[in-house]
Amino acid sequence: MRRLIAAVIFILIASVSQASERPEKPEKIVSLAPQVTETLYALGLAEKIVGVTTFCDYPPEAKKKPKVGGMSNPSLEAIVSLKPDIVILTTDGNPQWAEERLNALKIKTYVVRARRLVELPSEIRAMGAVLVAGQKAEELAGKIESAFSKFKAPHDGRRILFIIWPEPLIVAGPGTAVDDAIILVGLENVARGTGINYPKYSVEEAIRARPDIIAIGSGAGMEGFSKGLLKRLKDTPAVKGNKVFFVGDGLYRLGPRVIDGIRELAEAIGSQAGEATGAGK
Amino acid sequence: MRARLALLILAALSVFVICLYAGPRPVNPFSLNGMEKEIVFSIRLPRVVTALLMGAALGASGVVLQAMLRNPLADPYILGLSSGATLMAAGGIMAGAAFMGLFTIPAFAFAGAMATGGLVGLMGWRRGGLWPERLLLAGIGIGFLFSAMLMLLMSVSTSEGMRRAVMWMFGDLGMADWSLIPYGFALIAAGFSIALARAKALNSLMLGDDLAHSLGFSPRKETTMLFTSVGLMTASSVSLGGMVGFIGLLMPHVMRFLVGPDSRLLLPASALGGGMLLMVSDLLGRTIFQPAEIPSGIITALLGAPYFLYLLRRRDVIG
Repeated sequence: MRRLIAAVIFILIASVSQASERPEKPEKIVSLAPQVTETLYALGLAEKIVGVTTFCDYPPEAKKKPKVGGMSNPSLEAIVSLKPDIVILTTDGNPQWAEERLNALKIKTYVVRARRLVELPSEIRAMGAVLVAGQKAEELAGKIESAFSKFKAPHDGRRILFIIWPEPLIVAGPGTAVDDAIILVGLENVARGTGINYPKYSVEEAIRARPDIIAIGSGAGMEGFSKGLLKRLKDTPAVKGNKVFFVGDGLYRLGPRVIDGIRELAEAIGSQAGEATGAGK
Repeated sequence: MRARLALLILAALSVFVICLYAGPRPVNPFSLNGMEKEIVFSIRLPRVVTALLMGAALGASGVVLQAMLRNPLADPYILGLSSGATLMAAGGIMAGAAFMGLFTIPAFAFAGAMATGGLVGLMGWRRGGLWPERLLLAGIGIGFLFSAMLMLLMSVSTSEGMRRAVMWMFGDLGMADWSLIPYGFALIAAGFSIALARAKALNSLMLGDDLAHSLGFSPRKETTMLFTSVGLMTASSVSLGGMVGFIGLLMPHVMRFLVGPDSRLLLPASALGGGMLLMVSDLLGRTIFQPAEIPSGIITALLGAPYFLYLLRRRDVIG
């Protein structure tokens, strides 16, 4: 009997302590990066977001949320005054001091460390666990994983130059989500050899590399600003064969919209690889 | 000294040719294939010509400014023209002005630089002429004001136009294109001719207004002419390829060690030296880490500063 009582007491204590250890569901979340904001919206946590950065422009509703500053210069005061349960930062864009200062102010933080495409699903699951949105996170992560396998293609020998900025010419190099997506859809990145994430690339070498495809990241007036560069790249197979296309910013942010970015890339190269639609641009 | 100038011209010509054929991959000038022809004539040639023009404009502007303002620390950016250029270019793009296509940023930058020059000139104007001290202080003041406005815009704006303009300003010669070169050449040649024509007056201004006056030059009139010349050269240089450090500040000093202080020699010498240094820096910038590139402004300083310090150690006299 005593043993039984002891066991019951033990179980009771254990369950109580477990309950107190179970993560509290955060009700007020501050996001310090656009990709985090997008992920929070995708996880159905829109209502709980109490603060975002001035760069958080997607989905459009996010623009109406209170601002806590930019990515590199968030305002501690603004964050503290929102009394958040958790602040979500990234290693890619937020200063390191932000996490330390917030923790010193007894504000809970979660740091997103994913920088590569393959890391995204597990990052979303981890974020879901912290925010007690595990099921939604599982769905989203699964959706991203199935997109990966859907668009995965073997390397077909074609080479792509992914332009981030036309003048000066800055391209997507190795170690970026863009590069991961390029490999995923079966292309080779011309700028692989630079070893730099976003190298300033030699126009001369871009001509010599003879890319088969040129992708240009979107932005206001990008088509106009790219004219000069494309004129200089006029003898590359990509320009000659009319395989230059403008893509959205899906791949720039490691969030739920990378699926769109990958699809866009895959469809563009697919349709221009010979399908008779011709509406790739 | 004239022999040294001739030597400089020869050196500049050789550097020009070397820079044209050397690069990420050297090409043989006597057997160019189609792609190499395209690279040499559409990419490298405008680039090398732009480097020569910009370097020359900065080198010559430095000579004029240091003599006119009687200040060895004066450089072409001290008048605030580059801040005005960036601000105007940023404003132009943010306002959505892309109607001039490729010319948009350079045109706005040039307008911004010239407008700033006009403003600085207006502030420096007193009793029928321009005064060096006033110009210097007005330039510094307006430069700070415009940089602060630019910083303000940068810290509150998420606009891409802003970033585009700033990137462009700190970018480099990789964007050089034939379309701008005729305008750049004409404006820089005009500015340089004015400076060279007034070189004797510039020499006299170094001695002070009173002496210049007694030598038969009107200090106010000469300062106005020379200021116009610097404005034209600096604004054109900034619009051709953004900002490049070192050349305007230190090339005049380097050349003073080599050809002496007479502006009639120093102006062409500093122009040639500046042109050469920028051509070589650009060559190295596009070659060392190829296919990635590094801005030539970094290399101008890395190459130029040690040489300047070496000359400084070796010589007893300065200036």
